[in-house]
Amino acid sequence: MTSKERAIASINQDYLEKYGFHDPEEYLLRTPKGLSHEVVEMISRYKQEPDWMREIRHRALDIFLAKPMPTWIDQSMLAELNFDDLYYYMKPPGELTRDWDEVPERIKKTFDRLGVPEAERKFLAGVSAQYESEVVYHSIREDLEKQGVIFLDIDSGLKEHPGIIKKFFGSVVPAADNKFAALNTAVWSGGSFVYVPPHTKVEIPLQAYFRINSKNIGQFERTLIIADEGAFVHYIEGCTAPVYSSDSLHSGVIELIAMKGAHIRYSTIQNWSTNVFNLVTQRAKAYENAIVEWVDGNMGSKVTMKYPAVILAGEGAHGEVLSIAFAGNGQHQDAGAKMIHLAPNTTSRIISKSISKDMGRSSYRGLVKMTPGSTGCKSHVECDALLIGAEARSDTYPTMEIAEDDVSVEHEARVSKLADEQLFYLQSRGLSEDQARLMIVNGFIEPFVKELPMEYAVELNRLIALEMEDSVG
Amino acid sequence: MAEAAVTMPAASPVFDEAFLRSLSAQLGEREPLLSQRLDALRLLAQLPPPDRSSHLWRYTNPARLLPPQPVQAITGSGPIEGPELPEGGAVVVVASGRPPRVTISDAAAAAGLEIVPLTAEADAAERFGRKVDGTHGVFEALNAAGWTSGLLVRVPKDAVVPGPVHIVTMAGPGWSAPRLVVEAGINAALTVVDDHKGGGEGAYVSAVTETSLDPGANIRHVILQQLDAGTAAHLTARTGVGRDASLTTVLASFGGSVVKMDLGAILEGSGASSEIVGFVLGEARQHMDHHTVHEHVAPHTRSNIDFKVALTGRARSAYTGNIRIAKDAPGTEAYQENRNLLLSGTCRADTIPELEIMTDDVSCSHGATVSPLDPEQVFYLESRGIPQARAKRLIVRGFVDPALSRIPAGLREPLEAIIADRIGRFLMTDEEAAKS
Repeated sequence: MTSKERAIASINQDYLEKYGFHDPEEYLLRTPKGLSHEVVEMISRYKQEPDWMREIRHRALDIFLAKPMPTWIDQSMLAELNFDDLYYYMKPPGELTRDWDEVPERIKKTFDRLGVPEAERKFLAGVSAQYESEVVYHSIREDLEKQGVIFLDIDSGLKEHPGIIKKFFGSVVPAADNKFAALNTAVWSGGSFVYVPPHTKVEIPLQAYFRINSKNIGQFERTLIIADEGAFVHYIEGCTAPVYSSDSLHSGVIELIAMKGAHIRYSTIQNWSTNVFNLVTQRAKAYENAIVEWVDGNMGSKVTMKYPAVILAGEGAHGEVLSIAFAGNGQHQDAGAKMIHLAPNTTSRIISKSISKDMGRSSYRGLVKMTPGSTGCKSHVECDALLIGAEARSDTYPTMEIAEDDVSVEHEARVSKLADEQLFYLQSRGLSEDQARLMIVNGFIEPFVKELPMEYAVELNRLIALEMEDSVG
Repeated sequence: MAEAAVTMPAASPVFDEAFLRSLSAQLGEREPLLSQRLDALRLLAQLPPPDRSSHLWRYTNPARLLPPQPVQAITGSGPIEGPELPEGGAVVVVASGRPPRVTISDAAAAAGLEIVPLTAEADAAERFGRKVDGTHGVFEALNAAGWTSGLLVRVPKDAVVPGPVHIVTMAGPGWSAPRLVVEAGINAALTVVDDHKGGGEGAYVSAVTETSLDPGANIRHVILQQLDAGTAAHLTARTGVGRDASLTTVLASFGGSVVKMDLGAILEGSGASSEIVGFVLGEARQHMDHHTVHEHVAPHTRSNIDFKVALTGRARSAYTGNIRIAKDAPGTEAYQENRNLLLSGTCRADTIPELEIMTDDVSCSHGATVSPLDPEQVFYLESRGIPQARAKRLIVRGFVDPALSRIPAGLREPLEAIIADRIGRFLMTDEEAAKS
């Protein structure tokens, strides 16, 4: 076995030793297995939601049941997903806490490994730690409150600001958008609610950590972020998941609304363990001169289907997606981006990088759409795929629908393997083959990494090194 | 454009068994061909009708490509004037329901070129479906059952045919389903011009061309789609490219009203290569939907696609290009470029260039652009003293040149005139168009 073969064989084989998260289960309330109107009713009643939200949930469940499964993804993989074998809601022990000291010890231990307290000490604004289906820890720094920024878990948001939630909930991702958006709308639980008042700049990134920790738990996070006129916010979501024995589903819905001149950046790195189905709908609406950026890293999960989208609804709006996907053995990363140009002089840019290793498969699936009257629009899409191993697979499925002549649309994609010439060159400079390989991969993802906050960049580099392990001796 | 009905009726609404029996008798064909037709008819009843959820039909309603009433009989096209015999080549005029008219030059005959109607070929049944069988899709199955003309073009081992073989396929009124089989032996070389003409309002074409290249063969396959306005056409072409063989496909597609085309090459032998150079022009309410596929199944194969689309009026184009590289095809290089030029505010271009790559030892890329005429290019030409209208014509002419310049001399000149005329019309202002 060469070192390359060893490296390939080791991918995702030692998740337990590497990450080691697996705590005993402990719940206060759990709905019965499976999905039904009774379960939806139970969730809504338990959360003491207003009637309108309960009705939204029930309607969404009907939509979910009526919609067919997506056909563009590997059907044999999707067939492993059994909706009747999942729990749709669990209430963790402990009430919502504001102070780190009050977070239960066992949960804290897990977050220690994720580096939350470390980050907290440094410069984090607020930590919204989602444990299971509920937010258990939440702190907001005083100056944020003074600025008038609302940063809550979405359940508290619904209680404290029902007006705003009612107005914007489902306005960007309606329940009927796709099967999984409907599922999320029916059983959503947890997630963040952020409102930034006009002309307010949130200087430090807002972060939410969450993870799944039990067999067969679905996590249906629902996040709603609204940046009012001229506001700026950077929201970071990161996830790491422990080891399970059976498949798990994560199906979130993230809605961003950037009002006139606002700027939202949403960064996420998902590293679910490789038995998680990660089927997420992320979409933003950008009004006049607003900017929305999705920075999206997909490292883990068994199957990811995620196509961050920006609806450019106001003149001069700009949308950007910068994404990276790493597909190791048995993984399918079906990621992409969508840019819908509805207004004149809107611009968009998509940079997508993917690495397929061993039997991994990564796909870019994207859409750039320009409607009649969206004059002066520009869009640029670039996809780069790197293949490591003769069995690796890479697909590119970009769609461009252009119904306006006064526009400029460009798409390019390249697929290649780790080049022997590059390896040879680096080795001739004294690097080992493994070091050279890691260096090339790091160089490949560099444009993505440099967009991340420093501690995330460090974490990502470490993740890549782990995934390439044995390659680094 | 409202396109309500998406699916077409299941089974075969286009014709029945009685029609196939009478068609077979009309063509005077041998028995195995009739049973082959009936097999295809049975298969057709089982095939799921195409619908918009499968992405190759996302932009075109299949019902628009089928006759609204079942076909009763093939009336055949009117009298046809054959084009000139190209030097060193051959000319064939194919019309529905009647034998083709074949003229082969002495030089081509001496080289070993054979052109025969499929109905006259003893083992015709076996020459069918090698590259496109009935399971390919509903339209291919329709052709396999109800083909109205069949032609076999064959060049033996080492034969080099000096001139092009110009095959003019005339679409008749109503339904026509021409079938063409081209076979090139080891190291043979040939240029085939597959020229689709005629048709008109109420004309429906469902054509299939199958080509195979033995090792070392070299074929230039020119496809001219200049059907009359009003025609609805579905054309499928597949070529198997053998070891070290080389295929060049040149496409000029600008006729018809609703056109769907599926072009592809399967690189089946090590060292095989394929190049597609094509352009599509669309004006008025033309609906153009083109698909190309390069399927690499053998190692060290190469492919390249240069596909241009220029649209004006309310024309609409969809282009889907797929490159597939199988696990057993290391050392492969594949490139694809699609450019779309939008010359009016009401036209629409959709493009989906796809890559599906199943092994790592590849070099692969694609690019696609959609844009109006570059004002800087127009300005540059104007600064050199060229009037604006002419400058624009020159730029569009340059846009389609890579394909046009690879059409064999003699055939190219008349086409150039047609294209120049078309481009002139493309760039007319509304007032000019009203006057003319």
